[in-house]
Amino acid sequence: MNTGIVLALVGAALSAILGGIGSAYGVQAAGVAAAGVCSEKPDLFGKVLVLQALPGTQGIYGFLIAVLILVQTGVISGSPADLTVMQGLSYLIAGLPIAFVGCGSGIYQGKTAAASILMTAKDPDSSAKGITMTALVETYAILALLASILILFGIR
Amino acid sequence: MIVGMKKGSLIIMKADRDAVLKALQQAGEWMTISEEAADAPQGESSAAEKPENALAFLSGFAKKPSLFSSKPEVTSEALLAAGEEEKKTAAETERVMAAISNIDAELSALRNENETLTPWLDMDKPIEDVVDTRHVRVLSGFAPEEALPDIEAALGDTGALSAYGGSKDGVALLLYLYRLPDGEMKAKLSALSEAGFNEGQLPKISGKPKARYDENKAAIDRLLKQKEDLEATAKALSDKAGDVALLSEQVRAETERSRVTGVETAQTLLLKGWVREDRTARIEAAVSGVTEVYDLRFADPAEDEVPPTVTQNPHFLSQFETITDMFSLPKIGTLDPAPVAGIWYWIIFGMMMGDVGYGACMFVIFFLFKKIKKPTGEFGKLINVLFYSSITTIIFGVLFGSYFGETWHPIMFAPLDNPMGFLIFTMVIGVLHIFSGMGIKATELIRDGKILDAIFDVFSWMILITGLPMLLLPELRTAGIIMSVLGAAIILLTAGRDKPTIVGKITGGLLGLYDISSYLSDILSYSRILALSLATGVIGMVMNLLARMVAVGPIGFVFALLIYIVGHVFNLAMSLLSAYVHDSRLQYIEFFGKFYEGGGKPFKPLALRPKHFNVNDQKSSHS
Repeated sequence: MNTGIVLALVGAALSAILGGIGSAYGVQAAGVAAAGVCSEKPDLFGKVLVLQALPGTQGIYGFLIAVLILVQTGVISGSPADLTVMQGLSYLIAGLPIAFVGCGSGIYQGKTAAASILMTAKDPDSSAKGITMTALVETYAILALLASILILFGIR
Repeated sequence: MIVGMKKGSLIIMKADRDAVLKALQQAGEWMTISEEAADAPQGESSAAEKPENALAFLSGFAKKPSLFSSKPEVTSEALLAAGEEEKKTAAETERVMAAISNIDAELSALRNENETLTPWLDMDKPIEDVVDTRHVRVLSGFAPEEALPDIEAALGDTGALSAYGGSKDGVALLLYLYRLPDGEMKAKLSALSEAGFNEGQLPKISGKPKARYDENKAAIDRLLKQKEDLEATAKALSDKAGDVALLSEQVRAETERSRVTGVETAQTLLLKGWVREDRTARIEAAVSGVTEVYDLRFADPAEDEVPPTVTQNPHFLSQFETITDMFSLPKIGTLDPAPVAGIWYWIIFGMMMGDVGYGACMFVIFFLFKKIKKPTGEFGKLINVLFYSSITTIIFGVLFGSYFGETWHPIMFAPLDNPMGFLIFTMVIGVLHIFSGMGIKATELIRDGKILDAIFDVFSWMILITGLPMLLLPELRTAGIIMSVLGAAIILLTAGRDKPTIVGKITGGLLGLYDISSYLSDILSYSRILALSLATGVIGMVMNLLARMVAVGPIGFVFALLIYIVGHVFNLAMSLLSAYVHDSRLQYIEFFGKFYEGGGKPFKPLALRPKHFNVNDQKSSHS
């Protein structure tokens, strides 16, 4: 274990932590709305569940980058590579886009999902519109994920 | 393809109204044009609420329906009129329901009374005997047990107390106070309440508390026994829950018929409605089957009338209509985007999933779901979409060499090994997707004779967007420069052509060229295909890794199997959700944004739409 590996681990941890926090908050915010809707209209469970699950992806993306960093640095296979400090720092930086954007977009997507769930409660036929609106927020998490992946694969 | 509609006018005798409407409902091809405003009460009818409530009540007693059962089948005949048998079962159910709810109310009253009686059970005299006399005032109430000495002290020699059983408010007390002048009495009372005594009322009954309590208890037991009997009846009735469900359907169908309105004379009724132009004969057959006295004509819709939209596509493509319909129905007179959108949805879904193992799972799961549950309507179409998409998932899985997250001999490339290659591949797919949308717009423009508009607004962009990436390839550079300049020049010169002034035309052209940013962001948006494909693959890979790490010894092997199965099921579910959502989004925003207007009215014919049954007229009777 040298400084480079530790820095890379910080990057992996950050992307999993912040992505997870964003998704946890988002799914919770949507879940509160979904539970409220289900108390009055239990038959909408299927529709609101889809909406509630949408903000869950940021956590998955963060986890994905964390695993990719661990795979690339050889930590997961038990033989960590001999990284320089600069390389370790690069891995840390690779984790940052999905860490920050995942956290922010998870929270905001949760709010949009909650609003869409309430819209679905009033008009069950409009759930597809709600799904589209909610998915728009995720675009930025996906772009951040791509940025993270491209940085990650660019590290020499 | 959008199907042409005919406007039908049907004159019948008022006496035949019910029979004709039933025949039309059975045919399910006639959408009545209401004479009144279209916002007549829609949704669940209140008349169907009673059997629905009865059904919900019975389902509490019935066995849980098996996970592998589909809705029972009935003939459309059975749904048309309320049968005596069904009415009887429903009435019986309602009687049992009412009786049980009465018993519940009585039980709760008795239990409440017994709760108030509990502290006074030791009192061995009738409650009505506890009254003030000329010299003694009696107070009833409660106090905490530890406050008793204080209260006794406060009473002093001016009274006495008797304590009974405890309750949640403390010990039940009766205080006997000698009458005192008003002022002193007040002081005494406040001293008592300071000592901890809370005045509270005696139960409002007559007789000894204990006797009353036992009486109530006996009544409770009797009621519970009655309730048990009633519940047994309900359980027996729940075998016939199908009857109640049928009645609910019958009532709903009847309500829908009763909402049909037309112009009336003393003897006749004129109905107007939309019919698919290829199915007018079915209406004719339905009406002539029940009456001979009628007049039925069909006409083309007038200029100012907007008929509802019905689309007809080959079976495979028609399943993907549900994706388009969720966005908006195509308007009459435009092109139906469903065939093009369907094929793209199918391909992009496969790219987003991109795993042979998951594709095979989807194939099996949705095939079994279709066979066992027999889903119908929009939901059934969605299941078919997922079922067909399993094929593209397998194809792209082979191309990417992904098998349950493991990479094995990719034919094109493995997304993890060559993310840049995949990224460029998704952009190419994006450009083709957007171009096919622009192609539909160009087709519509050319069909309307606006060939120049098609060149200025559509082909110019196609040339520019094709030319720009060619600049990056050395061998195609010259061609790229020519195409980019040509495309940009056309846009610059023509985008402002509608503006009246020269300045307007110039700024319009510049603003038009600025649209390049929106095209770029649209194309970049297809990078989500890469992200989702990677997410599916990597999470699958992680599950394999975790399973392999714990697979030591027999116990480890069991754990590994558990991780493997749960992990992959979770990944499959999340990937399906993501692919469904993001594939839809690519259709709605990037693809439809280029040409699609939507805004069609749905075709909602007078038909049987049972909630609890599937209609099947092939079989002679329901089994």
